[in-house]
Amino acid sequence: MNNELTMPACAIPGTPLAAESAGINACVHCGFCLQACPTYIALGDENDSPRGRIYLMRALMEGELAVDDPAVHTHIDRCLGCRACETACPSGVPYGALLEATRATLSEVKRPPLRARFILALFARRRVMRIAVGAARLLRSTGLPKVLSRLPGDLGFAFAMLASSESPLARARAHAHGGSSAGYDARGDGSRGTFALLRGCVMEGLFTRANRATERTLVANDYRALAAPDQHCCGALHAHAGDLDMARTLARRNIAAFEKSGAEYVVTNAAGCGALLKEYGHLLANDAEWSARAADLSARARDVSELLAAAGPRVGAPLDYRVTYDAPCHLQHAQRITAAPLRVLDAIPGLERVALADADQCCGSAGIYNLLEPALSAAVLAPKIAHIELTGAALVATGNPGCLMQIGAGLQRAGHSARTIHPVELLDASYEAQARAEP
Amino acid sequence: MLARSSELATYSSDGLPGYRLRPRLAVFPTTKQQLIDVVRLLAREHCPFVARGAGTGLSAGALASGDAVVIGLNRLNRILRIDPANRLAVVEPGAVNVTLTRAAGAHGLHYAPDPSSQTACTIGGNVAENSGGPHCLKYGVTLNHVAALEVILASGEIVALGNADGEADGYDLLGAFIGSEGCFGIALEVTVKLTPNPQGVRTLLADFMSIDAGARATSAIIAAGILPAALEMMDGPTIRAVEASIYAAGYPADADAVLLIELDGLDAGLDADVRLVEKHCLAAGARTVRIAANEDERARLWQGRKKAFGAMGRIAPDLVVQDAVIPRTKLPEVLRAIAAIAARWQIQVCNVFHAGDGNLHPNIGYDSRNADESRRVGMAMRDIMRACIDAGGTITGEHGIGLDKLEYMPQIFSPESLAAQCALRDAFDPERRANPGKVVPVHSCREWRGA
Repeated sequence: MNNELTMPACAIPGTPLAAESAGINACVHCGFCLQACPTYIALGDENDSPRGRIYLMRALMEGELAVDDPAVHTHIDRCLGCRACETACPSGVPYGALLEATRATLSEVKRPPLRARFILALFARRRVMRIAVGAARLLRSTGLPKVLSRLPGDLGFAFAMLASSESPLARARAHAHGGSSAGYDARGDGSRGTFALLRGCVMEGLFTRANRATERTLVANDYRALAAPDQHCCGALHAHAGDLDMARTLARRNIAAFEKSGAEYVVTNAAGCGALLKEYGHLLANDAEWSARAADLSARARDVSELLAAAGPRVGAPLDYRVTYDAPCHLQHAQRITAAPLRVLDAIPGLERVALADADQCCGSAGIYNLLEPALSAAVLAPKIAHIELTGAALVATGNPGCLMQIGAGLQRAGHSARTIHPVELLDASYEAQARAEP
Repeated sequence: MLARSSELATYSSDGLPGYRLRPRLAVFPTTKQQLIDVVRLLAREHCPFVARGAGTGLSAGALASGDAVVIGLNRLNRILRIDPANRLAVVEPGAVNVTLTRAAGAHGLHYAPDPSSQTACTIGGNVAENSGGPHCLKYGVTLNHVAALEVILASGEIVALGNADGEADGYDLLGAFIGSEGCFGIALEVTVKLTPNPQGVRTLLADFMSIDAGARATSAIIAAGILPAALEMMDGPTIRAVEASIYAAGYPADADAVLLIELDGLDAGLDADVRLVEKHCLAAGARTVRIAANEDERARLWQGRKKAFGAMGRIAPDLVVQDAVIPRTKLPEVLRAIAAIAARWQIQVCNVFHAGDGNLHPNIGYDSRNADESRRVGMAMRDIMRACIDAGGTITGEHGIGLDKLEYMPQIFSPESLAAQCALRDAFDPERRANPGKVVPVHSCREWRGA
């Protein structure tokens, strides 16, 4: 103990980071997180590893580093927030909460970049967001984004993301059924309880089919749908960026909206949204009026795959695809859901499911990270695309809009024919095929 | 290259956070040639340096202070060649231990030394520390699995040690280099031996209501002539820390000790050994002996053991882990002595260790902000080392001396022996620029020089 230092009092009292200091103390510096971290693997600097970032956080707390230290901002900004380190951590360090608290603390001295603030402001305004997503959908329908996705740089990638958000089944189905793609009439006895869907800003706008598929497959598995019309953006992007105040505002609105719906389960098909719904309790823990209601909502939040897996799910008609599954970080690491999405896929006869190497590694999407740190995001995406190519799969199933677009864009720009799809949409297609076969 | 003080802070400690020393610079070569250039530049400037891999070491061996420069080897992480026919692989020093085993798995082979940090630690670091791991009871330590090394000495000279094709001529300089804790030079390329995966593996978990009973079972198993692939013990506080973590392995939470025993080899005869081990455990007082039914259960039992060190983080904000080896037959009395020391200093010791080869790892959780508690932990550490030395043991099994155990070196070596170690070091690095101030107390070398 020769060189032991006695820890001084907290240098940044009253900040969000100071409130999370117990989480920092849980880190014993063992380093088991290093190889789980995509940015450490890509950059090879411990400052870009979970252990290194926790060291920086500790240095902020102890006053060894100042909150305006540019190096601290650089390395904290570069974190994807994928939380793979939490899965690797034997000590149970709540890294995601620490990261959000650190970002909130740092944003008090330096605001996030304009691009980030613009996007976050957009997501916080329901009506404006709807118009923006509607415009994007209109643009997508022209086929122009597919052409423009060949543009070099960030702009081309953004168009590729938009182009890849179109369901790969939509065209095939429309063709096979003479332009009709109205789905089918899902029937169930509602005996498994009631649910209200968190529609999600991007999911409802660009992945409308996946949302309808979510409702239909749940109904077909004996859940009963209830409406929650007053819902808002979940606030996940705001929380990840350190705008905890806006995240709390949005959380309160959603808690009220879903309470009003009377549903037993609050369901989402977006892993990022689901992770935050389950953390509303933590987010509002110090809000005397809302903490109990927030904890209650978190306890009722479910990913769609959880409810489907609990119900079986019911087996559909055969689909002849070669599919691989990539685990969204906020499903695998933040919510610790690994088996349920596979059970959804395995309910489809004829589906050939092949394993994807390093499926637990981040794809680099990470909310709006790919727009803020495009170079590093691309470096993290590259091995993912290479591994997908090795599977020979025609479809990559993954349950989060960011991952669907990031991987989809990566495949498209690499000239690869594989497409991304939400697992639930495949199950829905299987049920639809069954409904058409036995009217 | 990192020169900014705020970015160097991260490199001021390794896996043992009780020590913090800020390096002057940190450089991260990405090619072998860059590494050679860096070492030669430092040689021209007579500048000291410290090689660092993943920084998972537990003796503060990879820390640099004063003028010393950290040379990070983590970007030199390629597996250059796997030669399944000769069961060899050539890797760069920053290659991660488990990555090598995964790559070798395609050929039915693995890299046998498996330190608990194997998911993060590097082969270069393993060479420096002569790392062990649970399976070294049967398979041996890093020394037994490295065939040859290409190393760069502090002077910039590149030398080949050992011979991948057979026995090397002359003195065993390869053996001298492995375990030299970065004081003899830096490995540029490591040629390791790969081991065929065993045909059959059986993993058993025996739980006991006293540490004594577990220790007696350990001695009885080895005395019966059985050589398990691994024989690990965890005491009650460790069991409860693991069971509270995400790596909960299903250890009985009310037990005072569990033994995790692995037997491997040819399928024929394996089950007879399993029955024999079971018999010895029950005779020593085991409540139950459970045999892992499948690969999932086996992996779960092992995860609990391998992540035990990290899981201790749940108990207290700071953690020190000790590393000492005692004669296996002295396990019961030394473990009793450790319990008495813990009581005397009012601290909690968690024991998790390689029982089969008598390699103890007492872990002590504490809060470094509490000066009195920190002092008591320091005193308890000293007493524990003294008890191990008095029992005929030694001060490190696999973590190395580094900075943490310098003060114990004079307790087990005479001044003449320490001087001889300094002389050996001088043969590799006469300027003593490679990892300065580690392993042998500096004053020992001065005495030797004065003589």
